Amino acid sequence: MKSIPKLIRRFVGIMMLSIMLLVCLNITFFAVVFVRNTSKFSPWDMADHVAAALQSTDDCYSLSDDAMAQLKEENAWAVLINNDTQQVVWQTDNLPDNIPMQYTLSDIAELTRGYVDGYPAFTGKAPNGLLVLGYPKDRFWKHTRASWDYDFIANLPRNTMIILVVNTVLIFLIYVAANTKLLRSIRPITNGIQNLSKGSPVYIKEKGVLSEFAEQINKTSEILQMQAEQLRKKETARANWIAGVSHDVRTPLSMIMGYAGQLENSKKLSEIERKKAAVIVRQSSRIKDLINDLNLASKLEYDMQPLTMKQENAIAVIRQVIVDFMNTNIDDKFPIKWKTADTLSACYITADKALLKRAVSNLIQNSINHNENGCVIYVSVDEDENTCRICIEDNGKGACDEQIERLNNIPHYMDCDRNTTEQRHGLGLLIVKQIIKGHHGKIIIDHSKYGGFKAVLIIPKNLS
Amino acid sequence: MNEDYLLNKHILLVDDEQELLDMVLSILTEYGFQNVKAAKNVKEAMEQAEKSRPELAILDVMLPDGNGFALMEQLKKGGDYPILFLTACGENDDKFKGFGLGADDYIIKPFLPKELLFRVMAILRRCYKDENPLVCLHDCQIDFSCAEVIKNGEHIPLTAKEHGLLSVLYRNAGRIVTIDALCEAAWGDNPFGYENSLMAHIRRIREKIEQNPSHPVSLVTVKGLGYMLHVSSQ
Repeated sequence: MKSIPKLIRRFVGIMMLSIMLLVCLNITFFAVVFVRNTSKFSPWDMADHVAAALQSTDDCYSLSDDAMAQLKEENAWAVLINNDTQQVVWQTDNLPDNIPMQYTLSDIAELTRGYVDGYPAFTGKAPNGLLVLGYPKDRFWKHTRASWDYDFIANLPRNTMIILVVNTVLIFLIYVAANTKLLRSIRPITNGIQNLSKGSPVYIKEKGVLSEFAEQINKTSEILQMQAEQLRKKETARANWIAGVSHDVRTPLSMIMGYAGQLENSKKLSEIERKKAAVIVRQSSRIKDLINDLNLASKLEYDMQPLTMKQENAIAVIRQVIVDFMNTNIDDKFPIKWKTADTLSACYITADKALLKRAVSNLIQNSINHNENGCVIYVSVDEDENTCRICIEDNGKGACDEQIERLNNIPHYMDCDRNTTEQRHGLGLLIVKQIIKGHHGKIIIDHSKYGGFKAVLIIPKNLS
Repeated sequence: MNEDYLLNKHILLVDDEQELLDMVLSILTEYGFQNVKAAKNVKEAMEQAEKSRPELAILDVMLPDGNGFALMEQLKKGGDYPILFLTACGENDDKFKGFGLGADDYIIKPFLPKELLFRVMAILRRCYKDENPLVCLHDCQIDFSCAEVIKNGEHIPLTAKEHGLLSVLYRNAGRIVTIDALCEAAWGDNPFGYENSLMAHIRRIREKIEQNPSHPVSLVTVKGLGYMLHVSSQ
């Protein structure tokens, strides 16, 4: 079963695609949240912006209304520390009380890196000092000791690539290992199911995680084998029964036919008595044909009649059938016309000669049986590249459209699983169909251009 | 065709069913056979064979003390004469076994008296034809033993092919023989492509046996199918 590895590959593919999609989704989500929750400017930019917006006039500082509004909006405060005195020389109105007004160099270094009294602080360079911008305590978190080795930064692209490659290889190895193990445990199960569908007996070792499946498949196989064996026994018994009955009927029927045949030709009997004997002969012959047909049909049905396939010249075979009929057909009620083109003297097919003869004989016999007032029977053989077509038709009473449709499409009662009496016709045509099926060919029943019944047997030249 | 000499042939009939035995006996004797002996089992058959020296045996396959195939082998030791099986064993395997052991024909029951008689006569004609070397046609006689045609007092020799073809046609006298069967008889197993040669041979045979080869009376063509030889009764 090739579909199982495909299924697993698809499953793993879907899983990896889902992971990638999730990662992308998360990054997007994070980006959206980040953008939403951060102010228009970064706090450092804000500090630079406020420092630039701070005007000094005669030791007096004033901030533009615009910058002031922005500070208010952010709920931030600001102080300007003089470069020379390290004293606060300007401040916003909302400066918290405990913010120192005097700073040492170490205070400034500290606040630049981190916090002033717990308030996250950011600095910007003003004309005469340093502008310190303070945000509410819960507004920013600052990383006070951030520093990276230069080599680490320089090697970051290469290391990232290595990590990605290692990750990919690792995922692939995990996938292969998991897949192989899974496939190894699934393979006997899939092989088992495959063999079940072929009708072969199946036994799978019942171990591992899938042992329950194996057990069920083994049980199913046992049941199927048992059913097949029972069916085969039943079919053999049925075919043997038919063969046995037909064997036992042959000897008594011989006597009926033999004595009736003698009486039919007896000069001591009156014309009426001889006619009665002739009826017995005719009807006994019908029983004989029926027994032979039933026997062959049941054997063909249950594949108990092996086909002996050989290269045969269909024209020679059919010609012999016609001649046999002509040689035994004492009255001239059923003349047979050979309508094969003179140019076609051979048409080789792979066939069982005896069964092919039987099929054509049955069709000719059908024309005879169904036209008690006589008819002309036309037989022809032609060929195309791949098939041989044998056509048997007559100018007799033929069949109506409905009957032809039924003969072409409705199964014979021997093939039919419904309890019906509608299709009770002879076995002759069923045998023809079975034989042609055995030759991988088909039979088409139609109206003849001569006015009667027509059957065309289409047989492939080579079985392959 | 004078076949009276064939009716004098000794025939051994073996079947375990007394009624069937009686019936076949009556069919054969009514037709004119004068020397028919019946046996119900292998033992009786062997005794009869020793006594009457049969020239044809008609055997059933299933017998109470053995089977027909084994009986045939025993009978053949006593003399090489034709054997015909008349049996209810209709399986191909049985038939092939019979023919494989050298049976001359195999009739599956039930059968019509006419069929049995046709087949018995065909076998006898085939096996004992040399006893009646002159075959009479409408315009001539054929002497198969000398391979010649006697027409208007003139002896015209037949070639080997012509002799072979005429033999097949004679064995099936009054019946159509297909082109393929004639080609096979003359040229062996793969007769495809010899149809024109066959027509030439037929033409030459007609020149020898017919008064007017363009309007044949004895060897007639059945268009597209084959040829038929008409034999006159003496």
